[in-house]
Amino acid sequence: MMTLNYIASFFLIVLGLYCIVVKYNLVKTVIGLSIMDYGVNLLIITIGYNPGGTAPIFTQGELQAASYFVDPIPQALTLTSIVIGACVTAMSLALVIKLKEMYGTLDTREIRRLRG
Amino acid sequence: MKYIDLLNFLNPQHFPIFAIMLYFLGAFFIVLFGKNRIARNCIAFLATGLSLTLLILLVKPIFLDGGIIAYWMGGRIPAGGYAIGIALEVDALGLFFGLLVATAVFVSCLYSFSYMSEDDNEPQYYTLFLMLAGGVLGMVFSGDLFNMFIMVEILTFAAVALTAFRNRVTGALEAAFKYLVVGCIGSTCILAGTILLYQQAHTLNLAQLATIIPNCHGTNVTVAFVLLFIGFCTKAFIVPFHPLAADAHGAAPAPVSVLISGVLTKSGIYGIIRLTFFLFQMMNLGAVQFWLVFLGSVSMFVCVTMALAQHDFKRLLAFHSISQIGYVLTAVGLATALGASAGLYHAMNHTLFKGLLFLCAGAVLHETGTTDLGKLGGLSKKMPWTTVLFLIGAASISGIPPFNGFASKWLIYQATYEKAVETGNIGFAFVTIVALVTSTLTLASFVKVTQSVFFGQLPKECENAKEVSWGMRLAMSILAILCTLTGLFPNAVQKFLTQPAARTMYNVSQYIDGMFQKGYAVQEMGMSAPEAAAVRFETVGVWNPGNWLILLLIALLSICIVAVASKYDAVRQNKSEKVEAKYSLFYGGEPTEFSQVGGGDLFWGFKHNWRHYFSFMHDLHSGIVNDYSLWAVVALALAMVYALIVL
Repeated sequence: MMTLNYIASFFLIVLGLYCIVVKYNLVKTVIGLSIMDYGVNLLIITIGYNPGGTAPIFTQGELQAASYFVDPIPQALTLTSIVIGACVTAMSLALVIKLKEMYGTLDTREIRRLRG
Repeated sequence: MKYIDLLNFLNPQHFPIFAIMLYFLGAFFIVLFGKNRIARNCIAFLATGLSLTLLILLVKPIFLDGGIIAYWMGGRIPAGGYAIGIALEVDALGLFFGLLVATAVFVSCLYSFSYMSEDDNEPQYYTLFLMLAGGVLGMVFSGDLFNMFIMVEILTFAAVALTAFRNRVTGALEAAFKYLVVGCIGSTCILAGTILLYQQAHTLNLAQLATIIPNCHGTNVTVAFVLLFIGFCTKAFIVPFHPLAADAHGAAPAPVSVLISGVLTKSGIYGIIRLTFFLFQMMNLGAVQFWLVFLGSVSMFVCVTMALAQHDFKRLLAFHSISQIGYVLTAVGLATALGASAGLYHAMNHTLFKGLLFLCAGAVLHETGTTDLGKLGGLSKKMPWTTVLFLIGAASISGIPPFNGFASKWLIYQATYEKAVETGNIGFAFVTIVALVTSTLTLASFVKVTQSVFFGQLPKECENAKEVSWGMRLAMSILAILCTLTGLFPNAVQKFLTQPAARTMYNVSQYIDGMFQKGYAVQEMGMSAPEAAAVRFETVGVWNPGNWLILLLIALLSICIVAVASKYDAVRQNKSEKVEAKYSLFYGGEPTEFSQVGGGDLFWGFKHNWRHYFSFMHDLHSGIVNDYSLWAVVALALAMVYALIVL
């Protein structure tokens, strides 16, 4: 069960990288970035997950040594990472719109005024 | 009671968080009140100035007394030897980089006041500017790996937005997009590496990780190391990430180029040092040393040759910037005390002289509207201040005594050579040669720039150029004075700045104990606790710049005398020429109106001999974002294979 999660997360990361490297469309590059980000989010959640654990919500006296719960820190990290991922998508799409206005194309092979 | 609370705020303990908060608060208040020009400038000035002051006040407790400030956010101190809160930890290394950041930010903020005054969206500029500054300072002071990642993201975002700020400039948007894509690959690597370490150690605190990770062996840890390393490499623009730096610096406004080159690359170097020296403590492995020195040397050489072929002022400076970062990485990678000290010294000098050069390029752009070397020329008559300041910067970066570049490069040559003698490995002597050759090529490149921008004939388009405003000259002068001072007193700089910082790099236990309590490292790690290495700074061949300064002054004086004397003649001759044109010298042909010797023609022989290399490199830097991402992926894969084989 967990192994599948790890495989899936690394598959998503590699798929995202593949998309960025191979696809010549700017929007697809942005999609690649997002997929890579989802892969890492899945990885974080998987690392924090304990099979059979309860939700990590306890009041002061409730917490005992025998309590078995999922690790709350990776969940907090994932939330932060999702927010950052949304920012990346928003910002790159804003740049894509501007690039389309200026260059009149979405093909990365034609957006190369800076080279050499 | 209230009074006592107030006094408590003045405890140096709180200064690091105040310094970071000032930047972010400044950014916030500029969003609120930024419409008014005076309010905006006051807020930016206060935020950057106060932060710098606070960090300077920290010099005594940290550099001179050798203390460490650990600050637990919200007072959540460790419980049962386990870090549960978010910590800031400032040791000499962190403060050293923090001071660089604060100085560069303050100076480039001063410069921005007049440089950016004609742009629209000025409030947004200062908001992003302060966010970038806060991000870098936060990253440098953070004692928590995940917080480092957050700060890296903040600074990447701010830098991308600032690169695209003048979005009508050719290539600004394009540069920003490329930087965003490859920068995000790097950030994702950092996040993945962080989480793999968390899986091993179940903590994110740097000091606690440093007690656990060196004792963990396995594929996971190695992969995490490579991911983090490549992530920080993208921030430092080490080869193969250098095209992004060139694009971003060229398109961004000059004060932002100062931040990207002087500050952002430093955050990458800082990350690499924290990673290799502190978290994994594997700088004693020959394989890791080889790796850092190799990457550094390649960056040095490739970028300087790329710079030789450039014909855009700022793009050329950008390639030089990465070339100098290569020096820093090489010196740090030697893993000797002298190397560390030399590397940090060069990192400081890089911030100063590169900042100065970018500001001069900005001044030229501001007055002439172009940075194309082919269209510029003869500006020394119109902009004498800028010319002198640029010459100081150029002399510093090319390592001409008595300016600071010489002092640090000399130390780097010594450190590499000493390493070669110590280990008997001929490869390190080869690195010395590469460093020397690179320095020569840097000088050649700056001779070209100086000739084609400031000397020669003035083209018609630049006739209206005049000296830049006092605010901009002040900012450039501060950096020029710092460049000269750090070059004139290398021993003082080493004793008070770089050697304390280098000492902390070899005293990991102190860092760990500083975060928790004394003896924590030994208690947690037992026998394998890192001991403070015997740090020994050789003083062989440390040079005395005083004599060189006198020599330089004599040379300058004699040049001035000759110039004045011949000018006197020239004036007299001119008068007679006006009377009788036929008595003037005749060389043959018609007199030309405009015969500028272009910078591109100066080294044509050298360039011709190397034409295959140059055209190969030109084709390689294709400008397609897919290619640059592919380089990132290949670098990641190669690093992974190398690490899995040797570590």
